[in-house]
Amino acid sequence: MNLKGTLPTLILEALEREPTHGYRIAQRIKERSRAILDFKEGTLYPALHKLERDGLVESYEGTENGRQRRYYRISQAGRRALVKDRAEWQKFSRAVTLILKTA
Amino acid sequence: MQSATLETWLGRATCRLSANSAAQVRSEIQEHYESARDEALNGGASPTEADRIALSSLGDASTAGRQYRKVLLTAAEERILRETMWEARAVCSRLRWLFPVAALTLCSAAWFFIAGQNYLALALVLMAAGMSLLLAGSRLPINSPARAQVFRGARWGWLAAVVLLAVWPDPLKQSWLLVAVAWPIVWVEWTLFSVRRKLAVDQWPRPLYF
Repeated sequence: MNLKGTLPTLILEALEREPTHGYRIAQRIKERSRAILDFKEGTLYPALHKLERDGLVESYEGTENGRQRRYYRISQAGRRALVKDRAEWQKFSRAVTLILKTA
Repeated sequence: MQSATLETWLGRATCRLSANSAAQVRSEIQEHYESARDEALNGGASPTEADRIALSSLGDASTAGRQYRKVLLTAAEERILRETMWEARAVCSRLRWLFPVAALTLCSAAWFFIAGQNYLALALVLMAAGMSLLLAGSRLPINSPARAQVFRGARWGWLAAVVLLAVWPDPLKQSWLLVAVAWPIVWVEWTLFSVRRKLAVDQWPRPLYF
């Protein structure tokens, strides 16, 4: 299923609990959506760069299994944006559900 | 063989990006590819199959390249930025002598205005304003995007006034000349606008504020 502009919110959600690297972020999104949300992982990093530029995530170097990796963590501004996005999404989702139920 | 395929993918995705941006993309995509490949191998896939799975998970390289060009500096943008910084160092830092010239130009404008030569007086006022703007760039505390926007607005206003004065009273007749002359300026400004959108404010080099 296409993510249609929700990828930044899903990335923030994936980073909310703990910092991780790009590959794990992609896996978390797929796992938590029970593989319904599938996306091409090459587009994950441009979205991460945009979030980083907007100050919503921060990146740092780390290692995993002896391999150098770039880790991402959510910033305070990112947490605030996530709360706002979540509320907006729930409102939007309720509205669409109402319409589709009555159709 | 499979590395060559990843290399092709990277070549497409980094097309038209600056050298620094391309190196960053290469590093993060290679990291990602290796993780995906390792996971496929751990899941029992053969090395060839693991390469194929890792590569297909990245998706279309051209689509990724388009996304990357929206957020990372392209080669053209980096070149314009480098040239802008060079100009700022080479020219704008040596403009102190403009202050007495601007003051003198303003005095001359007043004199021509009193003498009734309004058109010439207006041209001199605009010239003084242009010099003042150049001076203001290095003197005023323009250190936030909002202040920078005000400064650039003033500069564009000045440029529009100069152009109008130059082609007055028949602007349409010489519009082709205007378009030809303005095109490089508009192109550079558009590129710098794009660079400002891509870089975080704390990474802006000083000339980017102007």
